[in-house]
Amino acid sequence: MGYDPSADVIEVMRHPPRGPVAGTYRIFGETLRGLKTTFARVVEGPHTIQYPEEKTPVYPRFRGRHKLHRFEDTGLEKCVGCSLCAAACPADCIRVVAAENTPENRVSAGERYAAVYEINLSRCIFCGYCEVACPFDAITMGHDYELSDYTRSDLIFTKEMLLAEPIERTPLRVPGE
Amino acid sequence: MPRPEQKLIKLTIDGREIEAVEGTMLVDAAKQGDVEIPYFCYERRLGQPVGACRMCLVEIEGIPKLQTSCSTGVRDGMVVHTQTERVHEAQNAIVEFLLVNHPLDCPVCDKGGECPLQDISFGWGLGRTRVVEPKRHFQKPLALSPLIAIDRERCILCYRCVRFSQEIAEDWQLIFADRGSHTFVSTHDGHPYVAPFSGNIVELCPVGALTSQPYRFRARPWDIEGAGGVCTLCPAQCNVEFTVRDEKVVRVLIREHDGVDDGWLCDKGRFAYQAIHVDERITRPLVRDGGQLRPVSWERAFETAAEIARHQGRTAALVGGGASNEEAFLLQRLLREGLYSHDIDSRPGGALPLELARTLAAPALQASVPDLEFAHTVLVLGTEPLDEIPILDLRIRKGVRRNGVKLAIASPRPSALDPNAAVSLRYAPDGEAAFLSALEAALGHASSGSGDDVASLAELLRSGGEDVVIVYGESLAPAALESLVRIARLLGLEGRDGAGLLGVPASANGRGVREAGALPNAGPGYAELGAPRGRDAAAIAAAAAGGELSALYLLEVDPVRELPDRAAWEAALHHAGLVIAHASVLTDGLRDHATVIFPAESHAEKEGTVVHPDGRLQRLRAAIAHPGEVRAGWSVIAELARRCGHDLGVLTSSMAFRQLVAAVPFYAGITLEQIGGRGVRWPERPEAAALPAGGGSAQTPGAAAGTVQPAAAGQTNGHLRLGTYRSIWAAPEVEISPALHYTIAEQLVELSPADARRLEVGDGDEVLVGSGGTRLRGRAAVRTGVPEGTAFLATGIAQASANHLTEPLVEVRRA
Ligand code: SF4
Ligand code: SF4
Ligand code: SF4
Ligand code: SF4
Ligand code: FES
Repeated sequence: MGYDPSADVIEVMRHPPRGPVAGTYRIFGETLRGLKTTFARVVEGPHTIQYPEEKTPVYPRFRGRHKLHRFEDTGLEKCVGCSLCAAACPADCIRVVAAENTPENRVSAGERYAAVYEINLSRCIFCGYCEVACPFDAITMGHDYELSDYTRSDLIFTKEMLLAEPIERTPLRVPGE
Repeated sequence: MPRPEQKLIKLTIDGREIEAVEGTMLVDAAKQGDVEIPYFCYERRLGQPVGACRMCLVEIEGIPKLQTSCSTGVRDGMVVHTQTERVHEAQNAIVEFLLVNHPLDCPVCDKGGECPLQDISFGWGLGRTRVVEPKRHFQKPLALSPLIAIDRERCILCYRCVRFSQEIAEDWQLIFADRGSHTFVSTHDGHPYVAPFSGNIVELCPVGALTSQPYRFRARPWDIEGAGGVCTLCPAQCNVEFTVRDEKVVRVLIREHDGVDDGWLCDKGRFAYQAIHVDERITRPLVRDGGQLRPVSWERAFETAAEIARHQGRTAALVGGGASNEEAFLLQRLLREGLYSHDIDSRPGGALPLELARTLAAPALQASVPDLEFAHTVLVLGTEPLDEIPILDLRIRKGVRRNGVKLAIASPRPSALDPNAAVSLRYAPDGEAAFLSALEAALGHASSGSGDDVASLAELLRSGGEDVVIVYGESLAPAALESLVRIARLLGLEGRDGAGLLGVPASANGRGVREAGALPNAGPGYAELGAPRGRDAAAIAAAAAGGELSALYLLEVDPVRELPDRAAWEAALHHAGLVIAHASVLTDGLRDHATVIFPAESHAEKEGTVVHPDGRLQRLRAAIAHPGEVRAGWSVIAELARRCGHDLGVLTSSMAFRQLVAAVPFYAGITLEQIGGRGVRWPERPEAAALPAGGGSAQTPGAAAGTVQPAAAGQTNGHLRLGTYRSIWAAPEVEISPALHYTIAEQLVELSPADARRLEVGDGDEVLVGSGGTRLRGRAAVRTGVPEGTAFLATGIAQASANHLTEPLVEVRRA
């Protein structure tokens, strides 16, 4: 049974039937146009970066592994364990358990400090929301992107690991580079 | 005062037509109509509004100035605007004012994330500040009490905490000190705010000025989950919400239920959750091995406990504490069907005659909790609500304060409610039967005219109004309860809405376990048993000590600690060959005598049902997983029964519930879904008629009527009558909760000033209390309200509990 469109159906517009000349151009002409770019690169020579001996420099605002900070003068942790970063995190990979500072054991500048601060870097999507959320600039995104490890649990970074001065493994792109 | 009639009126808020009950405040009406008005100081539960914060300003047509919607009652035809320029301007200004002195230390503030001030500043504030002046400073944080931290900088002076202390708990401790911008919240004498309901102010405070010490910095709102549950630490069975973080209960909040708790919690319910996660809790099965209790596998524990099958006919069981209906029901099945014994009890004071038990449970005589608030007269008889069912203490105060309920108190010991009572009288510790028959007699005579206490109480009951609610304690002797029933009938309480009796059981689910059949003389649903009746608690102790019973099953009760006559129970446990217990704390009796201890669940882990003293079936839901190796109580009993060769056919807790419903005729048709989060009051259902009627015995006036001799004072020979009390804090859970350590008290011996003078004992002196060959050491507390000739000793406490003493007279002297 054929389909009989009624008068109010707008007719479908088609391109004119393709002739042999047009068909041949599409097969060879367009393909060669694309290959022009490829061959032009061949002339330039290889661009391989010999990772890990050589590394791509990152931009200053690159979002790599996090760092927690201390006050330079007092050495106290900037983080007060407010959990705002955990609230902001879309991957739900930050865990903060706060505790209270005592005169004998003063860890941070405020009333509370983070007794546990963990980031599960195998879940982190490096969006940087935590950095934006932090009211004390206690957490910032570093430049390290070399984060592979042998077990998943090794990718849970603890407060001590995040506070430690990271090994500078990643070159920073200098202006103009 | 009967419930006020509710008249519906119509008003318009922001162009929406809203129906509201006349007299409701505009904020509440707006909320019902889905219009949001920001507010801080108003709180319906606190009663009269004070209009302290001015956040709730709205424009009402016909009134030139903006009005506070929290203190303006709705009227018919009112037209209200909440979105005009003027209102916005006012709201912005108020937020700015509130923040003038507010530190905004949200990141370190425990309220952050659930703070009305944050939300309202964000939603109704200007978003910027013009204040450059320094803010006021206080020392912070300070401990307002061992449970509450106060940060005065954050306080917005909303009066909520002060109103709670002065108008709800009526402890009159919190005040505003100083004036103007120097005002701060404090106790009037600067001492810590220690009161049984103090934790409520933490939840009331709309900012982070009052925070809970145990919850301090534990979690943020996005770290936690809320799980609804029921507190089974006392018979009030308040509805609660457990705050759970990482499978641990870290906080307990209210889950307001007008029919149960009216939205308040006592500090035991609020802070004793800590007992769930302490090392002292038993979380593995223990078996006595070479005289020592040792942790063992479940397999080994079941093997040892299954020996009970060899004690057929010689086993007895006690049910107490927070045991659920299902647990009690399965245990009585195991005992009756598998072990051929009816020796099961749950009532410390001994079993009641079955007829009387049925009469007291009859729907016609039941009062509900809200009835306390709207009755003409409330009589508190032989119980101290503050200690035994704390939340009713607040409810009764509310009725007296707001609705003009006339309160009468008749008890041996002075009550915390005495100052609110119209009539308050004392009878001798074991003189309740004599007192009640005197009252009955006084009610019988048209008007006695004589000015004595009993006559004035009778006068109050008779002429104060028809709606009388009598709250009575479980310690009343059967004879007293018989006259109580007759008094209730004399007053016409039977079948009357808004009037009746409300029995306060000694254990949290006392009513439920009895309806489930944990009684020596009745099966589930107060069913008649065949010829052999079981032994009640006291008889069980005697029979076990005498060797007639060889095995004891203790479901969440340590009789040495909880029941009267400690020596008798020690002997009973000592002589029993097999003592099986479900327990979470190793109390004395269990430590010394239990053969097998199964770790018991806490109220945050249990699945099951319980029954409120007013007949409301409530459901316990598991908020957290079982810690350690704890298993569900019902499954332990079912497994043990299977190993004893008597399969109960129970694989899930809801199967146990269905069996219970099938066995108790007046529960017929109730499902767990119906119970849900709010409970079902079975006396209100038509099926309640299936409760077998109590007999006619209660109709014949007792022979004792006429012997008006409440206090037999003679021949005491310088000795004092012994009365006992159980403080709200006397519970093993409280002892192992670190936050509540400050409540653990030694034995306080309450004496009247006259006796203290005679015995040359001063307040706070150490005293020795003795009777028979027993001596207890305690500290004297001289109280003016204590009747002369009586000494009151604490029971249920860990050390030197009054259940060491069995004689009615004791000798008190300076140590
Ligand atoms: S970068 Fe994004 S995903 Fe990673 S921890 Fe921060 S907020 Fe979470
Ligand atoms: S890193 Fe910043 S946002 Fe996260 S808890 Fe610490 S202070 Fe708060
Ligand atoms: S009370 Fe509220 S607004 Fe004030 S500091 Fe605490 S969280 Fe922030
Ligand atoms: S402490 Fe909290 S509840 Fe009390 S007045 Fe201040 S803000 Fe209000
Ligand atoms: S809520 Fe109305 S004045 Fe505070």
